[in-house]
Amino acid sequence: MSDETLNLTLRVWRQDNSDSEGEFRDYKLSGVSTHMSFLEMLDVLNEQLIEAGEMPVAFDHDCREGICGMCSLMINGQAHGPDNATTTCQLHMRRFQDGDTIVIEPWRAAAFPVLRDLVVDRSAFDRIIQSGGYVSTNTGNAPDGNAIPIPGKVQEVAMDAAACIGCGACVAACKNASAMLFVSAKVSQLAVLPQGHAERTGRVLNMVAQMDEEGFGHCTNTSECEAACPAEISVSNIARLNREYVRATLVNRD
Amino acid sequence: MVRVASEILNGRVPEGPVDQIWDKHRFNMKLVNPANKRKFSVIVVGTGLAGGAAAASMAELGYHVKSFCYQDSPRRAHSIAAQGGINAAKNYPNDGDSIWRLFYDTVKGGDYRAREANVYRLAQISNNIIDQCVSQGVPFAREYGGTLANRSFGGAQVSRTFYCRGQTGQQLLLGAYQALMRQVGLGKVEMFARREMLDLITIDGVARGIVVRNLSTGKLEAHTADAVVLCTGGYGNVYYLSTNAKGCNVTAAWRCHKKGAYFANPCYTQIHPTCIPVSGDYQSKLTLMSESLRNDGRVWVPKNADDSRRPSDIPEEDRDYYLERRYPSFGNLVPRDVASRAAKERCDAGFGVNDSGLAVYLDFRDAINRDGEDTIRKKYGNLFHMYHKITAEDPYQVPMKIFPAVHYTMGGLWVDYQLMSNVPGLFVCGEANFSDHGANRLGASALMQGLSDGYFVIPYTIGDHLARTKFEHIPEDHPECLAAIQNAQSRIDQLMSVQGRRTVDSFHRELGLIMWDHCGMARNKTGLETAISQIRDLREEFWKDVRVLGEGESLNQSLEKAGRVADFLEFGEIMCVDALNREESCGGHFREEHQTEDGEAKRNDEDYSYVAAWEFDGVGEEPTLHKEPLTFPNVPPTTRSYK
Amino acid sequence: MDIVYKTLGLPAELLSKVPGIGPIVKACCTSVGQKILMAITGLSLVGFLVVHLGGNFNLFAGEAAFNGYAEKLHSLGPLLAIAETKLFAIFALHLGLALSTRAMSARARKSGYEKTESKQSGFLIPNGGAANMMFITGLILGGYVVLHVLDMKINIWKFDAGESKYALVRMVLRDPLHWGVYLVALIALGIHLSHGISSAFQTLGISHPRWNKILRFLSVALAWLIAGGFMSLLVWAYAFEAR
Repeated sequence: MSDETLNLTLRVWRQDNSDSEGEFRDYKLSGVSTHMSFLEMLDVLNEQLIEAGEMPVAFDHDCREGICGMCSLMINGQAHGPDNATTTCQLHMRRFQDGDTIVIEPWRAAAFPVLRDLVVDRSAFDRIIQSGGYVSTNTGNAPDGNAIPIPGKVQEVAMDAAACIGCGACVAACKNASAMLFVSAKVSQLAVLPQGHAERTGRVLNMVAQMDEEGFGHCTNTSECEAACPAEISVSNIARLNREYVRATLVNRD
Repeated sequence: MVRVASEILNGRVPEGPVDQIWDKHRFNMKLVNPANKRKFSVIVVGTGLAGGAAAASMAELGYHVKSFCYQDSPRRAHSIAAQGGINAAKNYPNDGDSIWRLFYDTVKGGDYRAREANVYRLAQISNNIIDQCVSQGVPFAREYGGTLANRSFGGAQVSRTFYCRGQTGQQLLLGAYQALMRQVGLGKVEMFARREMLDLITIDGVARGIVVRNLSTGKLEAHTADAVVLCTGGYGNVYYLSTNAKGCNVTAAWRCHKKGAYFANPCYTQIHPTCIPVSGDYQSKLTLMSESLRNDGRVWVPKNADDSRRPSDIPEEDRDYYLERRYPSFGNLVPRDVASRAAKERCDAGFGVNDSGLAVYLDFRDAINRDGEDTIRKKYGNLFHMYHKITAEDPYQVPMKIFPAVHYTMGGLWVDYQLMSNVPGLFVCGEANFSDHGANRLGASALMQGLSDGYFVIPYTIGDHLARTKFEHIPEDHPECLAAIQNAQSRIDQLMSVQGRRTVDSFHRELGLIMWDHCGMARNKTGLETAISQIRDLREEFWKDVRVLGEGESLNQSLEKAGRVADFLEFGEIMCVDALNREESCGGHFREEHQTEDGEAKRNDEDYSYVAAWEFDGVGEEPTLHKEPLTFPNVPPTTRSYK
Repeated sequence: MDIVYKTLGLPAELLSKVPGIGPIVKACCTSVGQKILMAITGLSLVGFLVVHLGGNFNLFAGEAAFNGYAEKLHSLGPLLAIAETKLFAIFALHLGLALSTRAMSARARKSGYEKTESKQSGFLIPNGGAANMMFITGLILGGYVVLHVLDMKINIWKFDAGESKYALVRMVLRDPLHWGVYLVALIALGIHLSHGISSAFQTLGISHPRWNKILRFLSVALAWLIAGGFMSLLVWAYAFEAR
């Protein structure tokens, strides 16, 4: 590990609230340690801004260990920055060069309105889950955990899909701002598990309807979402959603 | 001298043999008629395992629930970061586990400072939790044949931990979140995200509502209900650096404390032994490496203090596997407090590695040689990946460097057996209460407690409270609500009006250092007294010199942080007061004055077998101590030995 | 723009109210449904191309063979007309869906990024390069189809080929301007299909970790076989003697 420091130019999107027009502002930041995480670098920028009397840059973040899905940021045109399978909070400054200009933008999608600077409203994802991303089991009426055996391989497929952290990078990176990867991950997880079978028909129809209602785009199978996904959710889930959708359309009794 | 209340604090544990209390109590509790349930409303603050599960379960029962979280979505609560697993006494591996053994291990693991009846209930419910989560579609690891898999975890000699790769907390939380979202979709839960609780509204001494700040608009709102359930997690961020999420805070609990709720055992903090060491002063948080790594990793330091060879070049005879040496029967699987202190001991003695000398090795060489890299990758792949990301070192090639870090807080608001605080109508669940872990928490039991409280305890006990109390409707413009809003507003105005020179974070960092140095892994009288006076000075400086820019009525993250740090600056003091009062070493609380000759913790059951619940008497004023005596008829206290 | 979209969507809106087929029509109108229709129509068009190419290979067999084939087709009379109408309908639907989904994505992101950079490696692999050129190659193909019909069916440029379709094809293809336009269109066809075919499988849910790679390889191979097959006719027009 080398203890280098970087001098950077940050080109950051600033916007006071959802109604105001935003603009890019350039900031110089020097002496950035390569061991810093990207968000720590923004912390340092904010300390500098506050001292200079300028409002610090608002950005979403919480766990800072890559699991809560709250951090976002389009960094040099890439969702969560240049690394694969990495959230912004786990991105480190050693990925950048001295003298770089880094463009930092919020997720951009009509369904993710900007609240301030780099903070966007992702409640559309919550509403999609509300429309069917669950198993209707009330507390207390569960059979023994081993009552229904689930082959290890099937469980692995479900777990791969369930790993989604709901950050929205798929939407941000998609040229159509489509939420298919997010929706398909949940549809897939619950479609392959026996617990989810009872509701699979309604689930996929309702979740797709809600996804459209929220104003996300369609899927052109470009797979950019998969490349941007920090949880490495595969587009094979999208194929499974499509399959579920065809099936549901044909067998639906409503 | 501490002011002690003369009255004994009563935990309201029903009489009877410990294994029958909960069943009998469930029968004795009053029920709310199904048709009447919809007339009652409940506020749940926080959407982690406890909060999410509580809100969903109560809504399923028919109550009208209002759920609040400070994050942009309830799915972000920090329960999501729990890696290792969740315990249950299923005894699927047939290795001799039972409810009684889980109960026994947890009481012992907590160093005999937890309430026996609560712990027994927790062990009893543990099995239902697994069933519930499986039925929600939580993809627990399974064997090829399809049955649930288990792994072992620190502090236990049976395999009772259920897990979903290295992201068990995430999967359990998403299960609860989905149950919650279902209720939101059905209109039974009103969801309020990006809201931070700033005050508790009490009317005639009964909790009836909360004041929240809408973090996206900055507007203050009052919400009223028939009961308030606080599930707001722990206060580890008082140390600034911890494994908690950046937003975790003590504000909600602290404001309740200021409204009369007792704060119990605040000095019990858990320092987790396996975290990635600090690398610079800009560092914003510490990252945990799951305890499960200790199943296969071996902890060591060089035998020679000035050994500058690369770890892989240090031969076996020059390595000190100090946990295996000191604790031959548990080895690398000793409980967290023991492992952390042992690491600190080695580093203090000058054997630490890393540039800072504040790290020890966690080595997988032997496990990789034994099981092959593929097996190890399958078990811990995501953790290794994360370690690699953060440190730029490949743990398949070189041993990990780890160091203890603040992780969990066993202390919290005092609650009785019903999980109700001393303020009627204010219930506290999960990490926010103090009840089940005593002075130390065993691995994989935080998830268990959060879900137990949320799914299976509060839905019953809240009914009892609601059925016994007569409620009048409280409009949101009730004078008490307006007063509470006014109160919160004036604090915000005060923060905005200081216009000093220092940033909020700089205060938080300084507070964290004071706490870590004097109220961290080892504490002593002088240190704690120093800390108290330093905290007072820092608090004074904060209110004179903090700089918060912008406006109150807008999305303003500096203001959010300022409010939280202001509360930590008050709260830190009570932690030190509690630590100073407790003249013994137990669990996560280690007083240097009280240790055996070989450096093990020395408990004092004679004088300190009680819960220390503190009553607020004003900022900077010495709080009043209420004692709830603890008795252990079923698990007689012994010296905790893992040797 | 919204008004245009609503007007175009009117037939679907009305159909979705018809009992029985209503729910299916509704399902076809969602983002996923539209893509599924897109995949079905797309694969149908690929089927047509294969048949069309097979017929065109008669050119290599000489004037008599090709003209005989053309006559046989025309002797089908009303059947041919029905087939052509169907083909046109499929084509129109495919195009309409392209415009509709395009509008959907325009609404889904109103303000774009200052900078974008793909995180996928490899440009020539179908997902990545070709996927981003579907609309433009589709437009080229749309224009080309119009030209092709005008050329071959109507002979709008009045090539003096008499009654012989064989001669007409040869004349059109030997015209340098046409040759160039056709070549561009066929390259567009190859690109369009190299994403389109494998994408259609994905959209129809035909996906399995064991078969995906081979399926993708076969899809791309088929795409360029079709495009290459048609391109061979361009070579034929210049390099082969008329027979």
